[in-house]
Amino acid sequence: MNALSELPPVARPPGHRHQPGKDVDSFYHLVGCDLRDRPCDGTACFVAGGGRDAHQPRVYCLGRCFAAPARGLDRARPRIEVHSREPIVLGRLAKGGDGSLASYRSAGGGAALEKALAHEPGEVIGAVEASGLRGRGGAAFPAGRKWAAVAASATPDEKFIVANADEGDPGAYVDRFIMEGDPHALIEGMTLAAYAVGARRGWIYLRHEYPFAKEALDRALAEARAAGLLGDDILGRGFHFDIEVFVGHGSYVCGEETALLRSLAGLRPEPTIRPPYATERGHLGRPTLINNVETLATVPWIVEHGGGAYRALGFAQSRGTKALSLNSLFARPGLYEVEFGMPVRQIVEELGGGLRRGQLKGVIIGGPLAGIIPPHLLDTPLAFEELRAIGAAVGHGGVIAFDETTSIAALVHHVLVFGSYESCGKCTPCRLGSRRLEEIFARPDMPSDEVRELIAALRCASLCGHGTGLGEFADSALRYYGKELEPCWK
Amino acid sequence: MLEVSIDGTRRRFPEGTTILAAARELGIEIPTLCHDERLVPNAACRMCVVEVKGWSRFATACSTQLADGMEIQTASPAVEDARRTMLRLLAAGYPAEAVAAAPEKPFHRLLRSYGADTANDGARPCFTDTQHPYLRVDMAQCIACTRCIRICDEVQGQFVWRAWGRGPETRVLPHGAASLAESECVSCGACADTCPTGAIEDRSVIERGAPETWTRTTCPYCGTGCEMLVGTRRDRIVQVKPVLDAPVSKGHLCVKGRYAFDFVHAPDRATEPMIRESGTWRKVSWPEVVEFVAKRLADIVAKHGADSIGVLGSARGTNEENYLAQKFARVVLGTNNVDCCARVCHAPTAAGMKMTLGTGAATNCFDDIERAATFLICGSNPTENHPIVGARIKQAVLRGAKLIVIDPREIELARYADVHLQLRPGTNVALLNALAHVIIDESLADETALRERVRDFDAFREFVAAWTPERAAAICGVEAAKIREAARLYAQSDAAMCFHGLGTTEHVQGTEGVVCLVNLALLTGNFGRPGTGVNPLRGQNNVQGAAHMGCEPGNLTGFVPIEQGKDVFESVWQAPLPHSRGLNLMEMIDAAGERKLKALWAIGYDVSFTNPNAAVTKAAIEQVDLVIVQDLFFNELAREFGHVFLPACSSFEKDGTFMNSERRVQRVRRAVEPVGQSRADWEIICDVAKAMGHGAQFDFASAEAIWEEVRRVWKAGAGISYARIETHGLQWPCPREDHPGTPILHTESFPIGKTAPLKCIEFHATTEVANEEFPFLLTTGRTLYQFNAGTMTMRTANAQLRGTDTLDIAPADAQRMALRDGQRVRVRSRHGAAVLPVRADSRLKQGELFATFHATDVSLNQLTGPHRDTHVQTPEYKVVAVTLDKI
Ligand SMILES: Cc1cc2nc3c(=O)[nH]c(=O)nc-3n(C[C@H](O)[C@H](O)[C@H](O)COP(=O)(O)O)c2cc1C
Ligand code: SF4
Ligand code: SF4
Ligand code: SF4
Ligand code: FES
Repeated sequence: MNALSELPPVARPPGHRHQPGKDVDSFYHLVGCDLRDRPCDGTACFVAGGGRDAHQPRVYCLGRCFAAPARGLDRARPRIEVHSREPIVLGRLAKGGDGSLASYRSAGGGAALEKALAHEPGEVIGAVEASGLRGRGGAAFPAGRKWAAVAASATPDEKFIVANADEGDPGAYVDRFIMEGDPHALIEGMTLAAYAVGARRGWIYLRHEYPFAKEALDRALAEARAAGLLGDDILGRGFHFDIEVFVGHGSYVCGEETALLRSLAGLRPEPTIRPPYATERGHLGRPTLINNVETLATVPWIVEHGGGAYRALGFAQSRGTKALSLNSLFARPGLYEVEFGMPVRQIVEELGGGLRRGQLKGVIIGGPLAGIIPPHLLDTPLAFEELRAIGAAVGHGGVIAFDETTSIAALVHHVLVFGSYESCGKCTPCRLGSRRLEEIFARPDMPSDEVRELIAALRCASLCGHGTGLGEFADSALRYYGKELEPCWK
Repeated sequence: MLEVSIDGTRRRFPEGTTILAAARELGIEIPTLCHDERLVPNAACRMCVVEVKGWSRFATACSTQLADGMEIQTASPAVEDARRTMLRLLAAGYPAEAVAAAPEKPFHRLLRSYGADTANDGARPCFTDTQHPYLRVDMAQCIACTRCIRICDEVQGQFVWRAWGRGPETRVLPHGAASLAESECVSCGACADTCPTGAIEDRSVIERGAPETWTRTTCPYCGTGCEMLVGTRRDRIVQVKPVLDAPVSKGHLCVKGRYAFDFVHAPDRATEPMIRESGTWRKVSWPEVVEFVAKRLADIVAKHGADSIGVLGSARGTNEENYLAQKFARVVLGTNNVDCCARVCHAPTAAGMKMTLGTGAATNCFDDIERAATFLICGSNPTENHPIVGARIKQAVLRGAKLIVIDPREIELARYADVHLQLRPGTNVALLNALAHVIIDESLADETALRERVRDFDAFREFVAAWTPERAAAICGVEAAKIREAARLYAQSDAAMCFHGLGTTEHVQGTEGVVCLVNLALLTGNFGRPGTGVNPLRGQNNVQGAAHMGCEPGNLTGFVPIEQGKDVFESVWQAPLPHSRGLNLMEMIDAAGERKLKALWAIGYDVSFTNPNAAVTKAAIEQVDLVIVQDLFFNELAREFGHVFLPACSSFEKDGTFMNSERRVQRVRRAVEPVGQSRADWEIICDVAKAMGHGAQFDFASAEAIWEEVRRVWKAGAGISYARIETHGLQWPCPREDHPGTPILHTESFPIGKTAPLKCIEFHATTEVANEEFPFLLTTGRTLYQFNAGTMTMRTANAQLRGTDTLDIAPADAQRMALRDGQRVRVRSRHGAAVLPVRADSRLKQGELFATFHATDVSLNQLTGPHRDTHVQTPEYKVVAVTLDKI
């Protein structure tokens, strides 16, 4: 294996000849934007009474939903608790770890890499496969299967690892605090992934809204390099790997993996159809493993304790634990690690302590691209298939409760404003349908046939999860809050 | 094979078929907006959604490949509802006038069929461009399908259109420019062709109305052989569009083929026969002019012998017409004095390749561009002069193929090249020998090829041993290291394909330069396989055909030497062949100068303007007693020296066939009636032959009837019938009707045997060298927007895109001489002078100049000299030492 310094620059694949310029920049809304005094327009802030004035550029979630309505950046940490049998992703954070390598190690971090390097890469993949871990970025794809695909993919030269740190769902701040408070878990997870699939370079695609995470990652990467955990000849085992942080310029859709990879390559970040999958042709045309931050941060525990130990946690097809971020309307907002299978009611009433005041009207889990859970369905367990069955999703684990001060029409309108603002514009239903629905939901007399047609087109015909998710959200609002909306129809 | 059911019909399709393609095969139309079969599926408009049983979401038919057992509903109520909803969304901001003005645009038809009404809710400020001579842009009609962006990126490779902003605010605009004219646009029209709404549209359609009839034919410009659909309205051409399933052009055209058709009905089109009597031209009838020509020719034959007459066929004429022109010379007049403009372009290729490989034509086909791993482009500027080949090469390179460019100028492809050998004009042979040296020196030659298919290696190895890169570097002015790099790239590639142009042939060592390229291919085994070979890019649409049909003093139809073909031809023609050696074009001019040539019949060929060394050429032609000019226009030759003018019609006005650079015979079809009294060249020739008593041998009712005779004399073309080339051409050799044609030559052996020889070619420097008196080396060539003598293109709006010749000069030289762009200078060579405006051009090296030769008011060939290729006498257009005087 070549040392990193000997690797040639990666040739840009065909079709990349056009040097991107201002046209690509014009896609993003936060190029060079200072977020210090920006009010948040995200959903958690909206249901807390914020985000109602029109201003440009808009900011969809500063990762401070526990203190919503939020304005500007702040380093304060939320309450962080572990409610699973094993602490897997929030353990060190809950104990107040400072994110340094020393504190990571003193809490047992780093053992997984030592162990993995003494084994074959295939065994690492085997452990991940056995664990039943599924992607935490939203799609819930089995991680082990993806790793095996990248490992098996043929490449002319290199393979890459990309960590999806775009955490765009308003209401989600899990990845933010993993990166700020436990960055070595992500770094170790990426290094394990690189070893497993045979990659030598990795990127963390970090959203513009998380400058503190950038600082923490830079610090941690430097520490890891200095400690021989990154770079050439990691732990003296002849394995080379390094990581770069790439900061986005403001665009929700860049969290979608094909758009993310185009953004990383300097191209206009529109989602593209799959196949080809990133596992075959990803970053710069090379096989690429792209996983969410929490997914990767889970891996060291699995490697250390074995796939079976992880699999022993959780519920049905949803194994292990999930970190949830509760918004400011709860009596006890903050980050909670729970095992899959916990009823939503328990999350809302026991962990969150119910609403701080007022009557619970509904819960949005997994961001505004999934359905609302009405109070009567709160006994549904937190799990991928089970939530899907009622039109909701686990998503990134953002949990936004809202009360009777939020009207459903206004909430749907808010989500559609977000949806059309963040639409990449590639496909017709999302580019024009989201805007049209937004206009309709701002009116007192809404044409119900047209609304239903538009929602159907969004749900069924959009190219990526942004458009389909908007459709799902609006559809669930109509389904569960039809009565409230009745007077709005023309 | 996969079995699927589409709307209830079960059928088997090959793996890789998309739902859309499968449905179309079953005659089921699925609506699309962003789809274009020339492009990679983008699945953005979502109009083509269909239901697949068991899928939770719709599938896009354009991008989804069939899977075994799929059950597809292409028009379920849910799907139709989604389509209608999307069309309503698109219609909401769409201008109603646009629909009314062009109801047949694909988008407008869809709006109608789904009952989506335009609401035109408030005009938003949009990008417009009304200044371009051919394209009109009005982005109020843009539905953001991005077809224009993708076709400009993926087919043409110009990267002009870009999407700006995002979401509902997405706008499509030219990159870094306020108008198309200021952008990198090359006016290929692909974006207008693909645009489903007319946001980008051909001006001709807007101004003259949409075509009523379409005729499929072959482009009248370069030798690429693109097929086109000619759209006519009231017998006028209003639009030309590319043919999607054309084997060469694959749905693409360049600015010349696509837009430069207005010459057909140009106001100065000469449409009446004329005779010059005591200095003044008189309009006459066809019978009178035919009678006159016949009588004069007969008189001259009687008085001075047939060999005092010369006939020039034309690359602009069809195969049938060139066949008749040489038959006329040989049978009616009784002389082998027949030639064509191949003499001044690729005669060296035909000779050099025939000599070494046994066939004087491209060894491979254009489809090999997508199969080649490396390209060697020598003395050719494909993106301007063979733009469709150029675009295909550019795309192949963008997809990862390697590229070596040998050219004195930094042509567009040089910007994409892995190695650009920017050599001094006139030093090809030295450079190519050095490439061979490196290949042998570094043991990169193909051992198997050398053992089985190549001979005379030992002598060759000894010969090129002296041609070290260092030695060539000193002669050519390129770095030795780059020569080594190029040699390695070419030799180490799995399949390396060579293309060459007039920068290889129009030299005193033109034929020998071609032989040197053949040497490289033989050494490395780059022949007889896909993606390899030595491939001339022929300058004009039918220059390959003109010479191949026998407009060649030494060869009959099929490039068969006279002695060899005598029996067959005499029996088919029912006439004896002339014995004397024929004069070629250059020798005809020489003979004219010596008062030995008494008559010259020039068909579609302005010799006085395009031949080099204009002063000497003109003085010679002046001596000819009878100059018969047959052309579309009253050209320079007619004006200055003509005695008879015969108005011919263009290829848009007649039937026949052309032969492109890759040996493909394709159909030419009449799209409009002959303009005025003009007639097809073949009809004119037949009439004169009849008037001279050869009616029986020139009794043809149609172009096809002539072709049938061609098939009887030309073995390699015998299998090519009109019926077989109805929709796609065939590449010869194609000896039988059941033969599929031959895309790749020399796969098993050469016509000259199992092996081909390597030839030792000594380098001879041209006498055109720069010195104190003539410090610059001038090389000449064409540009994208103009074609050769400018006869056609100068009469179209291409003249607005590039109106006149310029003298391109390195910016440093311009600065040193204090020359501004546009400033007119007198250029002097040892042979003459011309005046033209300068243009600083960073593509040139210092001390070198480039000029085009399209404009009659410049008449650049006053500068070019008398030097000729030592084998076939092709003039040395490509290098002349000159000096500049300010005026
Ligand atoms: C509109 C859209 C936005 C997304 N945003 C994110 C994101 O911010 N972070 C993330 O990890 N995944 C996001 N995803 C999911 C990614 O496309 C992808 O599935 C994920 O990065 C894969 O990692 P995983 O398998 O570890 O979940 C998004 C998907 C869509 C359709
Ligand atoms: S659904 Fe929206 S975000 Fe996704 S590709 Fe279509 S326009 Fe872009
Ligand atoms: S100009 Fe035409 S081709 Fe280009 S994006 Fe707009 S509608 Fe499509
Ligand atoms: S005319 Fe051709 S080069 Fe010009 S913008 Fe359109 S596609 Fe591109
Ligand atoms: S901080 Fe505003 S929605 Fe998260």
